[in-house]
Amino acid sequence: MTNGNFKMAFSSLRRSRARSLLTMLGIIIGVIAIVVTLSIGAGVKRQISDQLDHLGADVLTIRPGSTSRGPNYASSGGVFAGLGSAPLTTADWNVVKQTPGVKLAIPLGIGSGFASVDGNKLNSGSVIATTDGLPEILQQKVEFGVFFTEQEMTSHVAVIGKQVAEQLFQENAPIGRVLSIRGQEFIVRGVFEAFNGNPLSLGTDLNSAVFVPFQVAAGLSDGTVPIGQIFAQSDGTASVATTSSAVRQNLSAAHSGQEDFMVLSRGQDLQASSSTVTLITQLVAALAGLSLLVGGIGIINIMLVSVTERTREIGIRKAIGATNRQILSQFIIEAAVLSAVGGLIGVALSIALIFGVRIGTNLHPIIIWPVMVLAPLAAGVLGVAFGVAPAVKAARKDPIEALRYE
Amino acid sequence: MAIIELKDVSKLYGFGDATTVALDEVSLTVEPGEFVAVMGPSGSGKSTLMNLIGLLDRPTHGKYNLNGKAVGRLRTNQRSKVRRDKIGFIFQSFNLIPRLSAIENVALPLAYRGTSVSRRLKQASVLLERVGLQDREYYQPHQLSGGQTQQVAIARALIANPDIIIADEPTGNLDSAASRLVMEILSEVHSSGHTIIMVTHNPELTRYANRVVYMQDGSIVYDEETDVGKVPARARRLIYSPTAKKSEEDDLAGVSALMSAVPNKETTKKKPAKRKRATKRKKS
Repeated sequence: MTNGNFKMAFSSLRRSRARSLLTMLGIIIGVIAIVVTLSIGAGVKRQISDQLDHLGADVLTIRPGSTSRGPNYASSGGVFAGLGSAPLTTADWNVVKQTPGVKLAIPLGIGSGFASVDGNKLNSGSVIATTDGLPEILQQKVEFGVFFTEQEMTSHVAVIGKQVAEQLFQENAPIGRVLSIRGQEFIVRGVFEAFNGNPLSLGTDLNSAVFVPFQVAAGLSDGTVPIGQIFAQSDGTASVATTSSAVRQNLSAAHSGQEDFMVLSRGQDLQASSSTVTLITQLVAALAGLSLLVGGIGIINIMLVSVTERTREIGIRKAIGATNRQILSQFIIEAAVLSAVGGLIGVALSIALIFGVRIGTNLHPIIIWPVMVLAPLAAGVLGVAFGVAPAVKAARKDPIEALRYE
Repeated sequence: MAIIELKDVSKLYGFGDATTVALDEVSLTVEPGEFVAVMGPSGSGKSTLMNLIGLLDRPTHGKYNLNGKAVGRLRTNQRSKVRRDKIGFIFQSFNLIPRLSAIENVALPLAYRGTSVSRRLKQASVLLERVGLQDREYYQPHQLSGGQTQQVAIARALIANPDIIIADEPTGNLDSAASRLVMEILSEVHSSGHTIIMVTHNPELTRYANRVVYMQDGSIVYDEETDVGKVPARARRLIYSPTAKKSEEDDLAGVSALMSAVPNKETTKKKPAKRKRATKRKKS
């Protein structure tokens, strides 16, 4: 006895379109809140895990500055987050390199000048002085060409970010072409694959950076290159934590006991923030669930009004032979349809909103298909639950009184 | 075998001192194929009797056999099923469901039997043709005239092929032309073998019935067989001396018997239209 009820339910929704829409609004907003929260949460987690993939858990990050400025300062920084305080030096790099347990230490030096080609200069972007191990430690592929090798550390070569290639050379793979920095010419050896931006960092965009050998960069200025960040990879003989404290001790000794630097285990850091994001996502989704509940109460309310309004119809249906159960199922189905349609609209709007967020912000919310399918179904089930009380009221009406109702 | 057999059926409302007797030990037997007109003043128990026969209500005392089966004490859902299978209702206020088209309204009783959509629409179409509305199938009730609406309601009452049709003042809201059309259809339904029980205030309409039952104060006071096409003398008298309208206060004070005994010159204020129609028809 459901074959006519769905049609009935839809036609009764159509009849009072404005009211149905207002009723559904509660469900729509609830569904949007839940779906978008989960999508953004999943998106942020994926971005974090992408970074984890790129920066292995065994990589330490050493930055200038002090952890006493607060954890926020430490974790929100990009490559040059430490610029507020005195940068690290080549001496520090050597200390890190020689610390037992460190296999590889790669500096990210702040090079002088900016890149230009035939008088066109790069609007934004920086020169980064580094060494040959960088692609390995960042697990970042060079898309075209190769990264400079150990033997080329004194040659005038450069590897550029994707955006530099497009903006300076207007081509994808300007291998062998020449750019100049402070009058010195560099041959382009390779182009990096696009870097995944960290949504939580406000740091330098590596896609618009020019990477040059560290020793050559020293020649661009007075012979020293300030270092914004040092990556140190553990060789696996000791735990990351042990290596981390060894590096800290050695550096501290070199700085005469002052800890004006931070040693961060980037991997641990990201894992921690990933689980924080999960927790926050769950919390917000739970709050959004509350708003769905409020929407459901709206459904109860409107169904009660509808039952009263249609008392006479209920009387007619009973007179021509509808059993209580049939009246009950009619109104429950109506509530379920009302709320499932609200769920569908909510999901549709959520998808639109997710694309809007992708375009408008640097968050990359993910469309989670199971959630998209489950949300309207769950809304429908909620509708059944919320429809029970009004439907029972309808089913219990006395046919004689219902027929007399004006 | 009688199709309807009521034995000493009473219906009481309220408790103790506040008890109202709506039906007072009424006995009535209706044979299959009869067309019974029920007449009587407001509050005489006609509607209560219809509700009991139509299984919308349960008698307080007494026995009710429908087709030889005791149905007086059935439970709500069982009564629903008996209504669905055996009884068709026609109401004064038509009672179509406003959002459904004519054909959907007619098909509705079959929905509660679990008939498939295509089959019940097909059957509804046949019924609409029978009442002469085949070209109005997809009209909404508000797009139909009063007479057409009642025609749709008759088609709905007939679709499940019920044993009994209960018509509660089927022409009460119609003008004379529409009334005649509706009564002709009912008459045709009667001649095709259905049992019809009709409540009416219009004595003229008793000409379609072959039996007239008069009620007063919850009892059947007179029950006569008549020839179809004739208005019995007793009913005819009522044309010119319609029963005084009784207010609720009158009922409570128990003046009703007194009032109906005394001819009332002021007559009804509430139903002038109906009276006018009745007299007009008489002249024509």
